[in-house]
Amino acid sequence: MEPGLLKSADWPILIDIYFFLGGVAGGAFVVATIASLLDGSRYRDVVRVGYYVAFAALIPCPILLIVDLGLPARFLNMLMVAKHSLDIGMSAMTAGPFHLKPYSPMSAGVWGLMAFSACAFLCAGETWLADRRGRSSPGGLAGTSGFPLVRTIAGVIGSIFAFFLAAYPGVLLGATARPLFISAHWLGALFLAVGAATGSAAIVLVLGWLRGPGAHDALARVMRVISVALVAELVALILLIVSVKAAGSEGVDAALAQLLMGRYSVPFWLGAVFLGAVLPLLLQRSAIGARAPRMTALQATLVLVGGFLVKFVLIAAGQASPNGGVG
Amino acid sequence: MARTVAMFTDVSLCIGCRACQVACKQWNQLEPEEPEWTGSYQNHAHFTDKSYRLVRFIEEPGDDKVGMRWHMMSDVCKHCAQAGCLEACPTGAIYRTEYGTVNINQDICNGCRYCVSACPFGVVSFNHDTGTATKCTFCNDRLHNGLGPACAKACPTESIKFGFRDELEAKAKARVEQLQKQGVTDAHLYGADQNGPLGGLNAFFLLVGPASKYGLPDQPKLPQRNVFIDSVFSIGAAIAVGLGAVFAFRTRGEQDR
Repeated sequence: MEPGLLKSADWPILIDIYFFLGGVAGGAFVVATIASLLDGSRYRDVVRVGYYVAFAALIPCPILLIVDLGLPARFLNMLMVAKHSLDIGMSAMTAGPFHLKPYSPMSAGVWGLMAFSACAFLCAGETWLADRRGRSSPGGLAGTSGFPLVRTIAGVIGSIFAFFLAAYPGVLLGATARPLFISAHWLGALFLAVGAATGSAAIVLVLGWLRGPGAHDALARVMRVISVALVAELVALILLIVSVKAAGSEGVDAALAQLLMGRYSVPFWLGAVFLGAVLPLLLQRSAIGARAPRMTALQATLVLVGGFLVKFVLIAAGQASPNGGVG
Repeated sequence: MARTVAMFTDVSLCIGCRACQVACKQWNQLEPEEPEWTGSYQNHAHFTDKSYRLVRFIEEPGDDKVGMRWHMMSDVCKHCAQAGCLEACPTGAIYRTEYGTVNINQDICNGCRYCVSACPFGVVSFNHDTGTATKCTFCNDRLHNGLGPACAKACPTESIKFGFRDELEAKAKARVEQLQKQGVTDAHLYGADQNGPLGGLNAFFLLVGPASKYGLPDQPKLPQRNVFIDSVFSIGAAIAVGLGAVFAFRTRGEQDR
């Protein structure tokens, strides 16, 4: 590749925020669903908070995407072709005016966002109805009544789309010609792990703030999910760097050097890796988090900031041109 | 479907007059741009939303006899048989025409810019005035009226040839043979092989020396080939994280203990 001649989409920070919020929504949704399926009544606060966080994080997503378009009024063209064309891509599927291009992660992503939005809406709506009933009936428990079957079905199906929403931005970046992205086969896995960590961290922050009965146990369990996700994040990062290194071309090496040793190295190593992943893991390992709510909140905040930084820095380094090209 | 058309650019005949660049701007009514200093006679450094044709000027230090060698190449959208921009486009605005070329329907493009970063040659540009992506169409309107692209018509040395792909490919191969007999041993075709990278390019080139000298990737890759393997890795991560979350919330083992 000749990176100087390649162009960058120059996606602004709006897209980084969308990728981050999509990950938070997906991660929180999956955690809520797993908690609900394993013991919905015991972890009812995790379930409630998880579904609310997922829905709240999701609301700005389509707005951010639409605002970023060169022609926002044509957003629907992502889903529909106005006129049948001879050939719009490998395995493109059309049904009436609608189309889906499986090899275009952006096309698949928009459909995934729509499907996940429907599931997140159903789960958050059911949780809200259950909360209302719980409050209005004396002795009723918030989050334990309503339409549990709807929540279970939407939760299970939605979890697939939740993981998809967290991961697809990485696959989308990997399907560009940018030297750093095209050789980094682990971006999707990394973004998924970051989504799981940040979604869980958002739940921890809200749970810690609410301080309901049983919060200590719930917090400890969500913190465990964060630890798993952070380890997965670090493993994916290492594999990503190895896969980029293995590509071995001059342009790719220059792009990687920008991230690891160049202008993005400080936010990457200090912000994304150390503060965002290693330090929260060390704090968790020392079990300080289990005892002090403030420490738990600090860990969660670090994970959220680090989660945003890892996506922001990777996207910025991948979009920047290493040798003064258009990028 | 009509026969596939193609453009064959022979760099050994290019004199760097830029008639093609001017003809392209004129026919497509592309606005003028401020010149930029690229360290050479080349203007601009890259394709832009107002420059679909670009004559590259490459200066190569020579030996004692020849102080500096000049290489000129008129570059253009390759209309790849497997086009990264077309595959990336989420709207279906980028489509393959009946001539085998790749066009952007300006009425459908919504300006997401995914195609810009998906092109392995950096051809597609974003027009901030219209909010859409743009690139060479092989002068689609001229094609429909039986005329060749404006650049090919304007080329005074016939460095740029336009015609049916199969016929042009035969001519290109003959030209390589001729050059090699004349001692230009590093003359070769780039993008002519339909079994080669990207399924062949509908704008292919005769180059003298390595492709990288002209700013072209030696082995262009379709970025969408990554989608499958990247998705598999993502699914693996989803299973690992999902199982981790299940173990974090499980209570059965704890109650047993």
